[in-house]
Amino acid sequence: MATIPYIEPEDADPITAQVYEDAEARFQMLLNIFKVTGHAPEMGQKMWQIFFDILQEGPKLDWYTKELLILKATKMGDCLYCVTQHEIVSAREGVSEEQQRDIVGVEYRTSPHFTEAEKAILDLCSYAVLDPEEIPPEVWMRVKEHYDDGQIVEIVTTIAAYLQVSKFGDALGVELEPVFHGHQPILFAEEPPKSAAAQRHLDHFLAQAPTS
Amino acid sequence: MPAVTMVESPTDEKVRDAYRIAEEHFGMVPNLTKALGSNPDMCHSVTDFFAQALREGMVSWAFKELVILKTLRAIRSFYSYGAHERIAAELGNSMERIGDVANSLWTTSPHYTEAEKAVFRLVEQIGIDAMDVGDDIWDPIKAHWTNAQIVELNALITTFVMIGRTGDTLGVPEPYLFAEPVSSG
Repeated sequence: MATIPYIEPEDADPITAQVYEDAEARFQMLLNIFKVTGHAPEMGQKMWQIFFDILQEGPKLDWYTKELLILKATKMGDCLYCVTQHEIVSAREGVSEEQQRDIVGVEYRTSPHFTEAEKAILDLCSYAVLDPEEIPPEVWMRVKEHYDDGQIVEIVTTIAAYLQVSKFGDALGVELEPVFHGHQPILFAEEPPKSAAAQRHLDHFLAQAPTS
Repeated sequence: MPAVTMVESPTDEKVRDAYRIAEEHFGMVPNLTKALGSNPDMCHSVTDFFAQALREGMVSWAFKELVILKTLRAIRSFYSYGAHERIAAELGNSMERIGDVANSLWTTSPHYTEAEKAVFRLVEQIGIDAMDVGDDIWDPIKAHWTNAQIVELNALITTFVMIGRTGDTLGVPEPYLFAEPVSSG
């Protein structure tokens, strides 16, 4: 159970109600993580706009590429909520199961399932999550070989925004919706969570009966 | 030199609107907004969110600035630390309150309330492992803060994880965020 109660649609103020409507239109359901921001409507509205902008075919960067970054960044943070949902969303956007398996750790570097451009931004993602101060010049060189400034901005913002939202939801104990029960997270099967707490959350999730 | 070109004179309408939002709020366009200027959607939504965070809210702006400083330290971020020290002081925080957010000094500092220390514990734990924030951390927070304040604080902490990572990854210098000294109220 989440640390604070969810604000259900019938209790939402007008700003939050509009956010819920937009979220349902975009994601075909109202995810629990939206419902906690109902406590702070204006903040929630501005925060979710970033994600509405990311989760679409962009004029600068395609959704498929952003899903690769989301999977990588949120797996590095052991975020069960984000990884589970984005395994499903990324598959819909064309990310193969082989790519999902190989995106963990440093497997992607030698995987035949990623292009050189994709390997470059997955490297950038790894450094950005762990320690941006350590990004080597050769990583920037490879990234800039394939992407222009507008795309780089979207790449970096997508990584950072998903660090934000994963920590936001995880800290508050936001739970995966029952519709995801029964899903076996591929990335965590390839590489178990690093933290004991994340492993406990995974074990609890896997013990939930699938919804019919 | 930042990893991307900082756009000084945007021609795109959405970027121009982001710069207008920034100028209205900050009295200037922060370098982070300029660094995002080559991507209209990201520039606009991140700037709008950023401006929303840096003002009086359900939590006082003066305390929010201390939370920002603690967050930047917790994730080892260099982006805009000096600018936020300046804002924290302008909003009335003493040098002790600004300095004692460092490492574990806050735990024994007489310059914070128990309510404030409970939030610093949350900041540190989110920096270490957000999947492991238990009742030992939440219970003292719930004793002092409303649900709305808790969401605002959690959003503020994680926003500055995002802002810090974006600024550091792109190598954005940000010695000042506001053109003029700020005040509460």
